[in-house]
Amino acid sequence: MSIKASEITDLIQARIKNFDAATEARNVGTVVSVTDGICRVHGLADVAYGEMVEFPGNTFGLALNLEQDSVGCVVLGDYMHISEGATVKTTGRILEVPVGPEMLGRVVDALGTPLDGKGPIKASKTSPIERVAPGVIWRKSVSQPVQTGLKAIDSMVPIGRGQRELIIGDRQTGKTAVAIDAIINQKGTGVKCIYVAIGQKQSSIANVVRKLEEHGAMAHTIIVTASASMPAAMQFIAPYSGCAMGEYFMDNGEDALIVYDDLTKQAWAYRQISLLLKRPPGREAYPGDVFYLHSRLLERSARVSAEYVEKISGGKIKGKTGSLTGLPIIETQAGDVTAFVPTNVISITDGQIFLETDLFNAGIRPAMNAGISVSRVGGAAQTGIIKKLGGGIRLALAQYRELAAFSQFASDLDEVTRRSLERGQRVTELMKQKQYSPMSVAEQALSIYSVNNGYMDKVDKNKIVAFEEALQAYAKTSHADFLKQVNEKPELSKEVEAGYKKICEDFLATGAY
Amino acid sequence: MADRATIARPYARAAFAHAQASKDFASWSSLLGAAAIAAEDSRVARLIGNPHVTGDELVELLGGLSEQAAGEGGKNFLRALAENRRLSLLPEIAKQFEKLRADVEGVVDVEVIAAREIAAPQQKRLEAALAKRLGRDVRLHTRFDETLIGGAIVRAGDLVIDGSLKGRLERLETALKN
Repeated sequence: MSIKASEITDLIQARIKNFDAATEARNVGTVVSVTDGICRVHGLADVAYGEMVEFPGNTFGLALNLEQDSVGCVVLGDYMHISEGATVKTTGRILEVPVGPEMLGRVVDALGTPLDGKGPIKASKTSPIERVAPGVIWRKSVSQPVQTGLKAIDSMVPIGRGQRELIIGDRQTGKTAVAIDAIINQKGTGVKCIYVAIGQKQSSIANVVRKLEEHGAMAHTIIVTASASMPAAMQFIAPYSGCAMGEYFMDNGEDALIVYDDLTKQAWAYRQISLLLKRPPGREAYPGDVFYLHSRLLERSARVSAEYVEKISGGKIKGKTGSLTGLPIIETQAGDVTAFVPTNVISITDGQIFLETDLFNAGIRPAMNAGISVSRVGGAAQTGIIKKLGGGIRLALAQYRELAAFSQFASDLDEVTRRSLERGQRVTELMKQKQYSPMSVAEQALSIYSVNNGYMDKVDKNKIVAFEEALQAYAKTSHADFLKQVNEKPELSKEVEAGYKKICEDFLATGAY
Repeated sequence: MADRATIARPYARAAFAHAQASKDFASWSSLLGAAAIAAEDSRVARLIGNPHVTGDELVELLGGLSEQAAGEGGKNFLRALAENRRLSLLPEIAKQFEKLRADVEGVVDVEVIAAREIAAPQQKRLEAALAKRLGRDVRLHTRFDETLIGGAIVRAGDLVIDGSLKGRLERLETALKN
């Protein structure tokens, strides 16, 4: 792409025209010391907590420690050019990021600066990264579902719009995969997605972006990255930036989904900053306010009432509720959920999805442990059909788990026990799902219906996956209209049940599996 | 710098309280001012750090500098500093003392750095305007700096009002860069 000279001249002219050259009165201070991204500044008598300060060379910082004779600032960006004696100015502004629909499809850093080389973002609005969550009066209870497209999650731990559902597990258990599948499945639903990558490898982020592009999911997604090579301050603020971008959609009566991948690394970054700021360390060397770090972030995920949307938009948007669904991710070390940060976040969120290494290695993917994964509010939001059919799944798995341990010692089993075991094994097999292949409600219902009603009982348990695939393919080719109908009105009526029965019986009759 | 200010604060407050009680700001100011200048001198600084020089000798040396001695109180103050090995903090103490004094007297020191000489009537107007803005009497110190090109910078403590052409050009530069 060639750049026209006139364009640049015009641009510069416009900038000079709009340049506000008024005399500025500012509070200034002097840098006393620069250490690992932390500046101690003498002076700055009028600086506010959390205010942006300006260093020379167009570098900004955040005032985080206000002490008697000095101010502790974290530098947002490179700090190598800041030296002792440099002048620091207050800006009178709280840190803000650009927000709006213009951000969709873009990859930005924690300050909203584009990183994808697609040119500047013409967002007209900005929003402060730290905001108080909507109050009790403005909230509505969670009643609409967010479909992740994963059978295991949508049937057993349903997620509602405005809910906070934690995804927790060791490294390499498919935490990101679950979140990415959920994002891909929001295509065409109107749910806007924000993926916040904190402390990750640039290569992993590039991978995620590529996968989302491949599945056409970038158009409704914003990616906020603070990779491992970026300063700790950026990793610390990235979730708040992403949240501000998501809140924009919530405030405008839309639904948004935000993934924080992962909050463990953000807590590490915050611990680093706190220790360098000489704040006293507490448990696991985290500062005292590490709970508040996450609670204030996750409180901003909410479902707000139509009145709230009307108030915020100044009466322009009426009769629409907004929501911001949060999917925080926490990485545990060797399955230890009793560590400081995991327990904190478990207690803040409205449920958790436990992913386990053993299950993952046994080929059960998503490696969700159905016994300890819960959703505290999602049940109210679950689609009727999955709610009715999914109850059997949970029960079958619970009975199976109990019997599986016991049956290892017994050779002779009675008929009931044996059937429970067989059913459990089949359900476990059925809950397996390939990555990047989310299923619609009707498809999920078909799979669950067929196992609940014993259509899979005669199938060898190693062939369940193949059987399901064939069943789905059959339904898609010969009963597409029916599936479409169910997706539009996902209720388990007599006719729908009869429809599923017919599909299953016809399919068995063809014997194509 | 920050730590020095913290350590110096109780000393400056004590000296100030004493001066206020005895209504003798002038001689204390002069003592601290002179001692501060001396303590900053590299030769004196070496003496302060020298273990062979006793505290009393230093007190004699520094206390004798000011013409308006602050009496026995001033000597005792220097002695206390010498005992606690804090004589090197004298410049910081003097600075804080002057600030406390200015607060009480309702005066503020304002530094005006201008590109060109400021005419007397202009200076008067500037003083009046600044007195109104800052809400107290202004002690104006003017300085010239041709590199500002035009306009002036007013500095009152931490508050800096940048009305210089140089500052505006710098801001234009950052606005264009981003």
